[in-house]
Amino acid sequence: MIINQFLVLAALLFSIGIYGVLVRRNAVLVLLSIELMLTAVNINLVAFGSYIQDTLRSGQVFALFVITVAAAEVGIGLAIVVLVFRNRASANVDELDLMRW
Amino acid sequence: MNMNLLAVAPEVIVVVAVVALLMIDVQWRPGPVWWAIAAAMGIAGATAAVALQWVDYRGADAASFFSDMIAIDGFGAFAGMVIFPLAGLGLMAAWPLIRSQGGRGAEFVVLVLIAATGAHLMAAAANLIMLFVGLEVFSISLYVLAGFTRERVDADEAALKYFLLGAVASAIFLYGIALVYASTGTTSIGGIATYLRSTILLRPGVLMAGMAMLLVGLAFKVSAAPFHMWAPDVYQGAPGGVTGFLAAGAKVAGFAAMARVLAVALGGRIDDWAPAVAVLAAVSIVLGTLLALVQSDLKRMLAYSSVAHAGFILTALVAGANGIPDMWFYVATYAVQVLAAFTVASVVSGATQGRAPLSDYTGLASRSPWLAGMLGLLMLAMAGIPLTAGFVGKAAVFRSAIDADYLWLVIVGVVSAVAGLFFYLRVIVLMYMQAADEESGHIPVPGGARVVLVAVGVLTVLIGVVPWPLLTWLRDALPL
Repeated sequence: MIINQFLVLAALLFSIGIYGVLVRRNAVLVLLSIELMLTAVNINLVAFGSYIQDTLRSGQVFALFVITVAAAEVGIGLAIVVLVFRNRASANVDELDLMRW
Repeated sequence: MNMNLLAVAPEVIVVVAVVALLMIDVQWRPGPVWWAIAAAMGIAGATAAVALQWVDYRGADAASFFSDMIAIDGFGAFAGMVIFPLAGLGLMAAWPLIRSQGGRGAEFVVLVLIAATGAHLMAAAANLIMLFVGLEVFSISLYVLAGFTRERVDADEAALKYFLLGAVASAIFLYGIALVYASTGTTSIGGIATYLRSTILLRPGVLMAGMAMLLVGLAFKVSAAPFHMWAPDVYQGAPGGVTGFLAAGAKVAGFAAMARVLAVALGGRIDDWAPAVAVLAAVSIVLGTLLALVQSDLKRMLAYSSVAHAGFILTALVAGANGIPDMWFYVATYAVQVLAAFTVASVVSGATQGRAPLSDYTGLASRSPWLAGMLGLLMLAMAGIPLTAGFVGKAAVFRSAIDADYLWLVIVGVVSAVAGLFFYLRVIVLMYMQAADEESGHIPVPGGARVVLVAVGVLTVLIGVVPWPLLTWLRDALPL
């Protein structure tokens, strides 16, 4: 089994996610970029798990855990974004500048 | 599958208390007294369970259960004996904040208890899957706690910053786990350690990349420079009553996970990661100290000082598994000190307030001599003055680093510790040698905060004067 294509896809997705986190100004889009990074990890885990023929299936199991935790995380994340939006009428991360240095 | 209910007893007890509290609160709205009773029972039960684990399984008797997912060893048990009482102290210190939130106060208690459970899971994990789940349970609870006073904009800002940066760090940490899994074929911490000791990797690039990403993720959680950017903003913006538990818990849980991952799982590769940890430590110590010098807000100053303290704790970890007892000594004593220091900040500047400008503390000694004395003692302990636990902690971590041949790191640490005296003493000078504003009067200290301050003050001095019992004891606080 050749796993290069999966790893390249995962690395690309992860990089796109980091790029999105760094350049996006809207908190919701930053959140989406983080989800991309987690998806990249899932692809990696499943690909590696299949490649090394792990009898415990740790890779697949871990991917399931990541999916679950990511759902919980995005739930909390969106709640915090809504909270910030209510208080400021904006979800622009550049405007979060009450505290610096 | 070898099951041992004692392995999960602390978590089960706390979760039972949490579920009971949530259901009773929904049904009968019983009020703060019952929240306190539920929390006290959960924490007392969990502490008893980890104490039992300590008695039965420390040292050579350590073992892992539930398909190699959770370990009972001196390491996890000691972490629990720090974390659960810390959660109790954190709740006591935060009680005015909890009461001010009306019916939502029960949620606060629940979140602190769940965070403590996650923190203990991180410390007791025998598998990276378990460690990750614990890390997320812990972190997600703290994201919510940071923004608990919903209407205040700086608390929201703190929560969002903490969440976004924390989630990115978790993703990087996960990618690191995936790469380590790829090169070792297992996610079991013991399995990784055995594999790395018995196998010579021909092309260790994947493992190296994985190690680097794990280190970045964990360095973020313990706020080691250059991954500390979130800490000052979060500590300053979060409500006064939250910050203490947030800062103390993150250090205990983060360093427990770090020791498990680096010193145990990747212990065979210490020559690869120790230099990186040493650099992280040096940068944290220097940057934390320098930036703390110029702050005008007590909570922000303590945040930068916590970055420096993260560096001091990392100094013990360059010695690998040999440094773990010294790391624990420093982590445990620092955690209670930072909790108490933020408690003073929440009493003086307000439990729901984020900011604690240093001008609030001018002439505090004449207004509230007792509070000023406690804060003064804590500042001396954090600075590492002899006869306080802070001094013994610094001596211990430096000894570890010297044993591991990192003399340069010790020199950096000692010089920075001396420079750090300046900002700690500045607070004391402000409190004792300057006159108070005329309109400010005596500050009443709530009962919970009083208990926290007395307990921490006694512990800090007691451990500072007779540190040997704890130091000897900690020789058993080693991972499986």
